[in-house]
Amino acid sequence: MKKKEKSHMLRELAEYLVTFGKINGADEVEMIIVDGHEFGVDVRFGEIENLLEAGSRYLSLRVIKDKKTAFATSSDLSKETLQYLLKNAIKRAALANPDEFSGLPPLSLKKINISSLRLYDPEIPELSSEKKTALALETEKIALDDRRITNSHGASFETNETKFILANSNGFLQEYDLTLCSLSLGLQAGETDNRVEDSWFSSKRYFKELESTEEIAKKAVERTVRLLRPKKTKTQKVPVIFEPMMTSWLLGFLFVCVSGVSIYQKASFLADKLGQRIGNEKVTIFDDGLIPGKLGTRPFDSEGVSCQKTPVVEKGILKNYLCNTYAARKLKIKSTGNAVGTGVGPNNFYLKPGNRRPKEIISSMDKGLILIRTIGHGLNPVTGDLSRGAFGLWVEKGEIAYPVSEITISGNLGEILNQIEMVGNDLDFHTPLAGPTIKIQELTVAGQ
Amino acid sequence: MKNKKISQSLAFEDHFQLSKDDLHKILNIALSKGGDFSEIFLDYKIYNAINMEEDIIKETAESISLGLGVRVLSGEKTGYGFTNDFSFENIKKAALTAASISSSNTLKNATKPSIARVEHNFYPVLEPANKEPQEKKIPLVKRVYTAAQKLDPKIKKVKVILQDQIQYITVVNSEGLMISDVRPMIKLLCLAISEKDNKRESGFSGGGGRVGLEYFTEELTPQEIGTDAAKEALNLLEAAEAPAGEIPVVLAPGHSGVLVHEAVGHLLEADFNRKKTSVFWDKMGKRVSNPQVNIYDDPTLLHFRGSYNIDDEGTIPQKTLLIKKGVVKGLLQDRLSAKLMNMPLTGHGRRHDYTCIPIPRMANTYIDKGEYDPEEIIKSVKKGFYAEKYRGGQVEDSGKFTFSVSSGFLIEDGRLTAPVKQATLIGSNIDILKKIEMVGSDLKFGMQTGTCGKEGQEVPVTDGCPSLKIAKMTVGGQK
Repeated sequence: MKKKEKSHMLRELAEYLVTFGKINGADEVEMIIVDGHEFGVDVRFGEIENLLEAGSRYLSLRVIKDKKTAFATSSDLSKETLQYLLKNAIKRAALANPDEFSGLPPLSLKKINISSLRLYDPEIPELSSEKKTALALETEKIALDDRRITNSHGASFETNETKFILANSNGFLQEYDLTLCSLSLGLQAGETDNRVEDSWFSSKRYFKELESTEEIAKKAVERTVRLLRPKKTKTQKVPVIFEPMMTSWLLGFLFVCVSGVSIYQKASFLADKLGQRIGNEKVTIFDDGLIPGKLGTRPFDSEGVSCQKTPVVEKGILKNYLCNTYAARKLKIKSTGNAVGTGVGPNNFYLKPGNRRPKEIISSMDKGLILIRTIGHGLNPVTGDLSRGAFGLWVEKGEIAYPVSEITISGNLGEILNQIEMVGNDLDFHTPLAGPTIKIQELTVAGQ
Repeated sequence: MKNKKISQSLAFEDHFQLSKDDLHKILNIALSKGGDFSEIFLDYKIYNAINMEEDIIKETAESISLGLGVRVLSGEKTGYGFTNDFSFENIKKAALTAASISSSNTLKNATKPSIARVEHNFYPVLEPANKEPQEKKIPLVKRVYTAAQKLDPKIKKVKVILQDQIQYITVVNSEGLMISDVRPMIKLLCLAISEKDNKRESGFSGGGGRVGLEYFTEELTPQEIGTDAAKEALNLLEAAEAPAGEIPVVLAPGHSGVLVHEAVGHLLEADFNRKKTSVFWDKMGKRVSNPQVNIYDDPTLLHFRGSYNIDDEGTIPQKTLLIKKGVVKGLLQDRLSAKLMNMPLTGHGRRHDYTCIPIPRMANTYIDKGEYDPEEIIKSVKKGFYAEKYRGGQVEDSGKFTFSVSSGFLIEDGRLTAPVKQATLIGSNIDILKKIEMVGSDLKFGMQTGTCGKEGQEVPVTDGCPSLKIAKMTVGGQK
């Protein structure tokens, strides 16, 4: 089937089911169809290890009857199955309790020019599997030519093309297409019992924007070998510098704490703090779904609410919680266009960069830790407490002295936001949660 | 291919409308570029969920997942294609995608599949939960909710989720195997949030497994689940910050199984050893731990969440000895690694669903019971940390692991004293295995709610251990 025909058919299916649901007694109906095509190749030591290619699709639906909600999803898109699921959902809705906050959002009149968001790169579907394989092979080869690298987890190249169609009984019917390409590499250095490992990746909507094989290989090598011959450190409180990926990680934790769902569930230490100071002057955070070409960009969210730029924290003051329609109604505010599936998720959620160069930030530190990776769980949004296994670089007199491992860092997000001393200028939207290098006054680093 | 007709009452194979001849044909198409082995994985899942929060049954959900994957092995290479659109054209396309991994001139023919019967059932249930009416499940959810909420006015928020699932799989391969499994699953979870003096804490509990609803009257009652979660949330309100530093640690039985999962299990998965990325790759037959330590992975434990009658490659699973008296004895194998390493299959090839290539995975992993009385173990510690409940863990191939303790106690002069909260334990596996000093006689398993992620694939698992004393471990708390 041709692409256009298929798109037309899926759109019609979504519309048909909305009508079918209404006829069968639902007050409100919402249909999402996701139709995707994926390709992935893993190479290791110069040979293809896995090659995967497939098309797949699924539909998810929501019905509301008498303010009672039911959801369903299916990867089987036959009309018979979908009619059965839809009827069953309407029947099942009766088992829930009425919830005055339930329901679809009103039809948004805001028109967003989808093509200006640069979500779809026509070059990606045209890339041959030979070319994609060659890029993965080349990336790994550059790294393996470095004699400090002793083993490889392999390199992977992946592409995705996804069509997203949303129809609802309030008259919403829109779709958009996304492309994504990713190139990644994982490495080990050192001998068996003293081995270290790390990786690097680049992931973009446009093939041209992907980091080069050389850049990815060099970063993966650099990140891996800098961990060699780690020392342990004594338990102490010291200043800690977060590399951009670590700032992203911290922002991921903060996102959970400002998500409207955590707020109405009282599962966040930031509940009831709107308008209050939660961080120092250096903390300005936005959620922006409309930055062209970025990974967290989309015209509308999974309920059809237009995306927007929402100030979350401005100079330390908590300005907005991020909501889907349900959480917004619970909190008596407006949806911020953050619906993802049946919950709330980030668009481009980022910390506004400052003007310090990362090097400058390091040289400002007399003694402390550069946090480069964490492993494990240990985030508690209810309290803001965090505690994680960590890898880092020890800094003495403004210079990197040696790597440290088998340490943990612990602290409290609320305290960290008040202790951000410096903010770097190196924001690059490597992931939808993005931040520059930051320096925190003090955290507990536990070791010996 | 016949016209596809769907009805929920029809048997699983009918959803695919594929005859044995069709399957044979697809297996041969998959081998048409010279692969060594081809396989079709048919996967049909029905999932139901009920959520309760803020005193109401908030929503229900139902989910159907139906698809098939075609895999081709060629030496060390794997080709994979999958589809959830079952026109012959589409299935053929998936088979050809998988086939393209090979480019050999020696063509193999697939043996015509014949059905193999499985003689055992590790999860007999009265009735799979998906067949039970929602009206019978909702009261269970409400009982958990009420038990948690009513325990104390300081409990401000409760959330309960009941999930049930049934998975029908059939594996057909070019060696003539055709084998099926029907896997029921239930998970009942409770999250409770307590509040006092503007301070909030959370507690978590749950249970289930490959069981029917009778489990919640016979094994673990909804009241116990609700009370347990609420108690943890309340206890944490009074808990002090965890200590920081390198100190003796006693791991409580059951939940601490996450240690054996992270610090040992993952690194004995065959793929990491075949690729020599695991620190264990050169340790087979070598002593790595105290002779008190025996570690198994057993996918055959009755009703356990991690159990299966066949693995996702159609292999009958076996209780697998990994570490015997402190010496590395075995690996968790899938087909590809077993063949390349010339080792026997253990039945640990698992996958998330039809979109994924099977890889070696754990099922139910545990340290077997030892000789020490648990009291004696605690008594032996002058000043240390007792880790009781966890939020999870993680390991990398180099052996560095962490696990997150949600609650525990200080040990002072051989007794459990002040409750403490949130800490991270960190170590490297070779080091920690050497530092196991005492193994208790009280083997228990953790909650039947665990899921393990590897390479983006999630599978249900269980883990367990008796009380364990670790001579020294880095505890990362705030004090």
